[in-house]
Amino acid sequence: MSSGFEVVLAGIQATIQDLGRVGLAGIGVSSAGALDEFAFHHANRLLGNEYGTNMLEIVFGGVKLKAKGSTSLVLTGAKVDATINNKPIEIWKTYKVNDGDIINLGYATSGARVYLGVKDGFSVEKEYGSCSVSIKEKLGGNPLHVKQFLPFKSVYLHDNRKLPTTYQPNYDKILMLRLVAGYQWDMFEDIQRDKFFSSHYKVTGQNDRMGYRLSGEKITSTSKGIVSEPIAYGSVQIPAHGEPIVLLKERQTIGGYPKIGSVIPVDCFRLAQAKQDSQVQFELISLEDARDISIEFYKFFKEI
Amino acid sequence: MRCFSVASVNSVMIYFGSEIGEGVAKEVRQVFYTLKSAKLEHITELVPSYTSIMISYDFMSVSYRQICKEIEDVLDHADEFYNEVSTRLVTIPVYYGLEVGLDLESLAKMKNRTVEEIVALHVNKEYFVYAIGFSPGFPYMGEVNEALATPRLANPRAKVPKGSVGIADKQTAIYPQLSPGGWQILGRTPIEMFDTSYKGFSYLKVGDKVKFQSISKEQFLELGGEL
Repeated sequence: MSSGFEVVLAGIQATIQDLGRVGLAGIGVSSAGALDEFAFHHANRLLGNEYGTNMLEIVFGGVKLKAKGSTSLVLTGAKVDATINNKPIEIWKTYKVNDGDIINLGYATSGARVYLGVKDGFSVEKEYGSCSVSIKEKLGGNPLHVKQFLPFKSVYLHDNRKLPTTYQPNYDKILMLRLVAGYQWDMFEDIQRDKFFSSHYKVTGQNDRMGYRLSGEKITSTSKGIVSEPIAYGSVQIPAHGEPIVLLKERQTIGGYPKIGSVIPVDCFRLAQAKQDSQVQFELISLEDARDISIEFYKFFKEI
Repeated sequence: MRCFSVASVNSVMIYFGSEIGEGVAKEVRQVFYTLKSAKLEHITELVPSYTSIMISYDFMSVSYRQICKEIEDVLDHADEFYNEVSTRLVTIPVYYGLEVGLDLESLAKMKNRTVEEIVALHVNKEYFVYAIGFSPGFPYMGEVNEALATPRLANPRAKVPKGSVGIADKQTAIYPQLSPGGWQILGRTPIEMFDTSYKGFSYLKVGDKVKFQSISKEQFLELGGEL
């Protein structure tokens, strides 16, 4: 009999994610992939998985699973009250799961996305090079649903591992989004840039895997409309209403709104843990510093 | 004219002009296919559009300056640019019936023309594929006849059926799958625009020329179209 999880409760939105699709943006396919790579890579590291192994990305929690067969399990990212057979478990820590165990996730008290990984990932088919579910594009299957069976290969070896508390992020601080100037930067006058970088913005209810719409100080550009052009990960669009939208991994590949620049990846990862009404601020960073920070992040996870 | 600019920590934009036009489009296409065939090791994505190309690269290995130089070197030393990479003329059958051409009647009224005249304006022209984007396989094509050009709907539809052929200003496009959208819908094609069985997955490619052919409801259904 095959091993895996039987889905008892599917939550609001839970999707399988890996690092997404590369090289297809030119034909309109967005990358998709784990929105918070910090939590994603740590989960794989704790499990001793290969870099980029797929797992569940769960918005706010609310998922209940029944295990068939055994595996190692880890939860990272948003803080949820979780249990295995009604016994509380910690996040950022691995646990042995045995046949018949019930894993139950409450709702997030801090952060927005929980990552649930198992040893060697789930045995799901890749579509266009990735297991990632792209909701808008209907690629990689559908979000989790009740009674679905999520297969994994049974593993009996288990290591107890935990990410030291000092490395665990605090999602309740005001989030500073570091931005590299780019795109239509020159179309924003000094006074508009000052406003942009000195204001506090709030995350609106319009936040999902495509992007986060913010509310706060409105800024304007001198642009009278731009020709539609490719959109990079983290781009900050300023539509006519003047409030910024930070575009994430399921963004459309081409769009026609002016952009002031792009938020660096590590800060996009943090933004993906921000809930409605959380506060964010923007800070300008040089391309050189942005690159150094990004290299440091990926070096840590790619080098064992 | 080629102008390099930063898009993000791992992406560079090359701008070829600021106005949509055949000349600029040709330059975009030449550079796109030249870079594509050069297969530069550090390039991860190449996304062409109307007047620009975005190039994503492996920032772990190269800096912005280095990748710009690598790109310049390829373009400077390319013996000859691909002159006309795609000269394909693709004919796309479209059923322009009122049951699928959701905005045909309102367009006809707005333009003071008959529905047949509106359809003729759309059919009697060759279009050029400027970009594939928005959603997988969605082709941005132009330019439609001035007499037909119409802005997007004031209230976009929550659901535009798969295969819908529409216009927005001077552009025309096909919705590869059911999705929200604000384009004025003239008809529907039975052709799949995006599929694993196609080489490169997308039915149309940047640089293709496209002509629409009006078909009957029977032909539409025969070709697998769904009402």
